[in-house]
Amino acid sequence: MTSLAVALNVLRRILRDGRTLALIVILPLFFVLIYGNSFSGSYSDLTIAIVNEDNGLASVRTMEVGRVTLTVDLASAFVDALDTTVFDIVVLKDSDEAMAMVGKDAWAALVFPKSFSNAVVSEAVRSSGERQVEFEGDSVTILPSDPVAGPLTKLIIDDSNPLVAGAIVAAFNDAFATVLETQQSSVTTESLLDVQRLYEGEIRMLDFTAPGIIGFAMTLITVMLTAMAVVRERTGGTLTRILIAPVSAWQVTLGYTLAFSLIALFQAAELFLVSLWLFDIRFVGDPGAVILVIVLFAIGLQGLATLMSTLAKNEAQAMQFVLFLLIPSIMLSGVFWPLETMSGTMRALSYAIPLTYANAALRKIMLTGHGIEALTFELSVLGAIAFVTLLLSVISMRRQAYTA
Amino acid sequence: MPADHVIRAQGLRKIYGKRAALDGLSLSVAQGQLYGLAGPNGAGKTTLIRTLCGLLRPDEGEANLLGWKMPSTRVRSQLGYMPQDFAVYNDLSVMQNLEFFGRLYSLKRSQVRERAKELLDLVQLSDRSRDRVGTFSGGMRRRVSLAISLLHKPRLVFLDEPTAGVDPKLRRSFWDYFNALADENVTLVVTTHLVEEAQRCHMVGFLMAGRLLTQGQPEEILAQTGTSNLDDAFIVLQERGEVAS
Repeated sequence: MTSLAVALNVLRRILRDGRTLALIVILPLFFVLIYGNSFSGSYSDLTIAIVNEDNGLASVRTMEVGRVTLTVDLASAFVDALDTTVFDIVVLKDSDEAMAMVGKDAWAALVFPKSFSNAVVSEAVRSSGERQVEFEGDSVTILPSDPVAGPLTKLIIDDSNPLVAGAIVAAFNDAFATVLETQQSSVTTESLLDVQRLYEGEIRMLDFTAPGIIGFAMTLITVMLTAMAVVRERTGGTLTRILIAPVSAWQVTLGYTLAFSLIALFQAAELFLVSLWLFDIRFVGDPGAVILVIVLFAIGLQGLATLMSTLAKNEAQAMQFVLFLLIPSIMLSGVFWPLETMSGTMRALSYAIPLTYANAALRKIMLTGHGIEALTFELSVLGAIAFVTLLLSVISMRRQAYTA
Repeated sequence: MPADHVIRAQGLRKIYGKRAALDGLSLSVAQGQLYGLAGPNGAGKTTLIRTLCGLLRPDEGEANLLGWKMPSTRVRSQLGYMPQDFAVYNDLSVMQNLEFFGRLYSLKRSQVRERAKELLDLVQLSDRSRDRVGTFSGGMRRRVSLAISLLHKPRLVFLDEPTAGVDPKLRRSFWDYFNALADENVTLVVTTHLVEEAQRCHMVGFLMAGRLLTQGQPEEILAQTGTSNLDDAFIVLQERGEVAS
């Protein structure tokens, strides 16, 4: 009976605490909805550049009329076979321009050589023997010829994201297989493709996830520490005491920012060093750029945490509110699966999460060796988040003193 | 209203839900006065102090401190405030607490040390200055809180229940110190739910349900109510107030 009384007392107190009660109901739903909508398993909006130099002609030897030229246009057939729900296809004329897009505006570039159709048809006939085709209204027999040696189709791929790179290669293989099937060809995709990876050395799944995991660890620790510290300062009355002194909310907020940025930098250094030492994660970029990303990221995080602490009456509530940032951060910021696999709504939500930009920036630095000049967008967004949340935390800091 | 009134509040009203914590309250306190705010729990003492300090915005009315309409940042350096909760860092030592808050008032380390000596003697914690506040009893923490509030030699001091949980002998020395500060022209507003304590004040205001039942010198209140102590005076005033309402 005593246990029952204790249990009833616990439940009664939770029922009286509207915010905790709401969190108990909302948090599981939030978690499931985010998870269900964030990973569809299929990709969309992958930009690829294609240059089609194929003349669409195949020169073959026939039994009846000697050498003739057939119009087959297999490169176009390949492009048509690509799934447009997965790919945003940019068709270009200049192969150098297409190659230059990879790693910036496109995941891959594919350049069909002038003799693509000819090479496929010749190889098909050579490997599978004579066949009948229609030529100018008559049926003619194509005779096997010597293998046609020509330039391969060139595929250059951004392999910074092994998941996306794998998906693109798989989709290209499918499209090639469809085209080759129409030619009853035994030619393999590999024999037609000259695959060049954009970056030197293999980028493992561990390398790919490491920047996001490090960013997530920072989010977890910085947000929890800040939110708890501010709530404790407020509920203990010391925040009121500080803000009744001749100091401005700006000074107090900057003090917090300085302290937690230093802690975040220390944590980041620890995370990076241990990851490099124990797991040999890929780090080919500039450590200075990483520090800049981390400082801006940490300021934004502590600003968000201060804002969250405004909503919390006590430390327990603060912890629960923090989960509303942590769950989307791990699921929607592209740490494990690319943004390109998410539905439109979830992707829009992911753009509101600081880790999305920190992760993208850290990947650019660590995996591909990009410098600060390539991080303009990510640094601008992280800087804007830091500034706005800092501004709002100053307002909230003053408000917390009034409502303490 | 005399010009040397450092606190002037007019028609303060603060509503929480359906309950008026302050119900059109007006108050003025002269410079160098030790003003005691007495009343039962929930009378509105803390709400009044927080409103006067600018920590709460009144729904109606306004408060002026040292000539500035509150909330104002201009009076902060001259304001001492001891909240009802301890408002100290339990994980720091007494001296570390004093040093931190001293920095907020731009005091040099040597100034803090000098003031700490005097104040820790007052609150009888000189021998515990290096101990962590978290190891202290409630009454001791309140004493640390009082020392912090007086650290920067404020001209105007609000002390919310400074003697709660403090033993009678020390309580007496606190009141002696408050009177000594008032003699130095410091203005103090001190709340207490121990009505009899207010006997040590120059002026006393009896607060009940967000209204001042009366205010005056202790002797005047005793004469007005025909009683011999402030406890009895308060009960008489309370009964009159209830009959009137």
